[in-house]
Amino acid sequence: MTEIFGVPTQALFGQLLLGLINGSFYALLSLGLAVIFGMLNIINFTHGAQYMMGAFGAYLVGQYFGIGYWPSLIVAPLLVGLTGVIIERTMLKRLYHLDHLYGLLFTFGVALIIQGYFRYYYGSSGLPYPIPPSLAGGTRLTLFDQPIMFLPWYRAWVIFFSLAICITTWYLIERTSLGAKLRAATENPTIVRTFGVNVPLLITLTYGAGVGLAGLAGVLAAPIYQVSPLMGADLINVVFAVVVIGGMGSILGSVVTGFVLGLIEGLTKVFYPEASTTVVFVIMAIVLLVRPAGLFGKAATTTTGVESTSVGSGLDGGRVLNVVMAAMAVVLMAAPFVVYPQFLMKALCIAMFALSVNLLLGYAGLLSFGHAMFLGSAGYVSAHAAKVWGLTPELAILAGTATAAAMGVVVGAIAIRRQGIYFAMTTLAFAQMVYFLALQVPFTHGEDGIQAVPRGKMFGFIDLNNQLSMYYVVLAIFMFALLMVHRIIHSPFGEVLKSIRENEARAISLGYKTDRYKLMAFVLSTTICGLGGATKAIVFQLASLTDVTSGTSGEAVLMTLVGGLGTLLGPIVGAFVITGMETYLAEWGQWVTVIQGVVFVVCVMAFRRGLVGEIAYRTGKPL
Amino acid sequence: MSQGEVILEARDLVKDFAGFLAVNHASFKVKRGTIHALIGPNGAGKTTLFNLLTKFLTPTQGQILFKGEDITALPPAEVARRGLVRSFQISAVFPHLSVLDNVRVALQRQRGGSFDFWRSRKVLEVYHDRAMQLIADVGLTQYANQPAVSLAYGRKRALELATTLALEPELMLLDEPMAGMAHEDIERIQELIRTASKGRTVLMVEHNLNVVASLSDTITVLTRGQILTEGDYKTVSANADVQQAYMGVGHG
Repeated sequence: MTEIFGVPTQALFGQLLLGLINGSFYALLSLGLAVIFGMLNIINFTHGAQYMMGAFGAYLVGQYFGIGYWPSLIVAPLLVGLTGVIIERTMLKRLYHLDHLYGLLFTFGVALIIQGYFRYYYGSSGLPYPIPPSLAGGTRLTLFDQPIMFLPWYRAWVIFFSLAICITTWYLIERTSLGAKLRAATENPTIVRTFGVNVPLLITLTYGAGVGLAGLAGVLAAPIYQVSPLMGADLINVVFAVVVIGGMGSILGSVVTGFVLGLIEGLTKVFYPEASTTVVFVIMAIVLLVRPAGLFGKAATTTTGVESTSVGSGLDGGRVLNVVMAAMAVVLMAAPFVVYPQFLMKALCIAMFALSVNLLLGYAGLLSFGHAMFLGSAGYVSAHAAKVWGLTPELAILAGTATAAAMGVVVGAIAIRRQGIYFAMTTLAFAQMVYFLALQVPFTHGEDGIQAVPRGKMFGFIDLNNQLSMYYVVLAIFMFALLMVHRIIHSPFGEVLKSIRENEARAISLGYKTDRYKLMAFVLSTTICGLGGATKAIVFQLASLTDVTSGTSGEAVLMTLVGGLGTLLGPIVGAFVITGMETYLAEWGQWVTVIQGVVFVVCVMAFRRGLVGEIAYRTGKPL
Repeated sequence: MSQGEVILEARDLVKDFAGFLAVNHASFKVKRGTIHALIGPNGAGKTTLFNLLTKFLTPTQGQILFKGEDITALPPAEVARRGLVRSFQISAVFPHLSVLDNVRVALQRQRGGSFDFWRSRKVLEVYHDRAMQLIADVGLTQYANQPAVSLAYGRKRALELATTLALEPELMLLDEPMAGMAHEDIERIQELIRTASKGRTVLMVEHNLNVVASLSDTITVLTRGQILTEGDYKTVSANADVQQAYMGVGHG
């Protein structure tokens, strides 16, 4: 057997082929994202779900109508594109006048609905889809009469066809008059409208086409990977990293980046397999440090955060808020005698998580879509410290919290180099990296998590195995976190933070080094998040993989949105509502995800102030 | 520090936008204690020059000296800290903060960095009187507790001026302070700039030549990225090139 760099050629070329295949999907998906972003200025978080729909589309038309692979290659993307057109026409287009983050949240909600629905009907296990007979088999490639690899025809076809689609799309956009109209409408829709071009129609068709591309990728993927409801969810997080690396500036850039990163991933599998799942994210971090706009990106434009409900302005105002907080503390003290304490403790820990996300989003205008990495990591460290090192619970919680803070320094320093939706994607990508790490490193125990964590004795004398003692400790920690957030947003620092959220350029021109304020806010947020995660691990005697998934990050954003962005109490209310839904609707299974998605969509479309925000708005009192 | 000393100097500034020289070897000096106007027809490069001076753009070539120190390589926030503060052409307020909070966040700069997240914002109460004074100066007292977003355009500009003044800048760069203002507002802001200029230096871009004539000590005329001429209003308006380049474009 021949070897290159000490690696058998067969293995090397096999992995390179696999890398090219992955690269084809990265390229097709990031191409669709770039096309949509160029026209709508929205990051389409539904993209992964639409890719999955493409694969299911091919599977279903085959099952029910006997339509084979080749017609499916046209039919399924068209169907997926059509659903995209309907979503855009009925809902998405109503969000264009708002901050782009709302578009992101909306598409995230839609993704939840679609994925939850498919999981309900088809479960999580994969369904097989056969390789079309005409592309069955393959050929043995040789070089100087040495066998180098076996090339299955279908895989060759995927690479060839993806490339062809990418080049065609590039040609359409960069070299035709339709493309010229598209690009002009991207730059200045108003002027292009005065030329007599139907811009809204153009936008709709662009969204449909971008979504169709995702569907097409799904059909291509069906015979290679199994058709399953979550096939897109994991993939899309990697694609976001690809997009951050390439930058959204150019079509060609996203395609090239996609293929190159696929190849790099393949090579890593040969030479250092442990890093193969994380290499893309490491490259992302390096690119962000060296070239924050991405390899092919234009300089990022500043977006002006989300609208938040800041009512009232007096320095000593908020007496109502203080009263409400005191009343809440009293109610929570009595609550375990009425409500199941286990539920209350879960809600309180999750409320800290939501508080931390809102501190960034509501008061600094930074949407973190990866806060689960801090929640989960703090949980792992806290559980490990208590179980393996035998630390007392207070020290274990401290260790977990410190871990989240330290991670916040590193991730924050890199992520704040990008703004708006890029910031969201960067945090999401980092969270995915932490997820893969948690899956791999031994001390987290992979899928099992760290189980049977001892609760121990707090300060040596409070026995936490007593459910009520545990509850009051959690309540005390929660109140500490709440008061900390309260103080932060009502501090001189908080005032500067709000000014940055409102108008960063102006804050700079007043002499504020805004990056440092944002980093500080980020670290404070991850610390509070870590406190929640570390406490949660002790309470439930478990640190699990669920807490580091992107779904968990999304839930925190949902809670903030439901309760009211930029209100102090909103995230707490949101946490109770969403945790309550999960606990008490648990027997509904996947419908809970669908309901969450619907809540997301409804909040973004019609209820942007949230529950607490609405009350604050109507009473004119800051809450 | 006597009047007449140079506070800001641009040396041979060039800004190249992919082959288009928006600012083309421009050199000029601003003297301390004066009101200096930068005028020129549309597209002359005034705003680009402004952005270069406040470091919101990086010059392709050339040097900027503020109080004799080279600030060419400094980041914008640092430039602001040294006393060179700008306003924006498009109204730059913090929309969902109240008028009072807008001004106070600028006054708060006097504390240096405000990273003390553990302290109550009540420590900022010391700035209340000064903030209300500045708000009164620009005639916004009755709007003090309203969010800035609800103000009419001219009032937003007035608020922006109050915010800029709150920083007690040594050199204030005003980008078209009168743009979009109603006639009666112009009078008041003009007076305010005159009052505010006592003890400091003002460099402004302004289209309203009446304002320029009545306020400025020195006028620099810019066309196609280059300095055409410089002098007081009488000298500049008598210059044939200026009449050709500036008035010829149809601006009165």
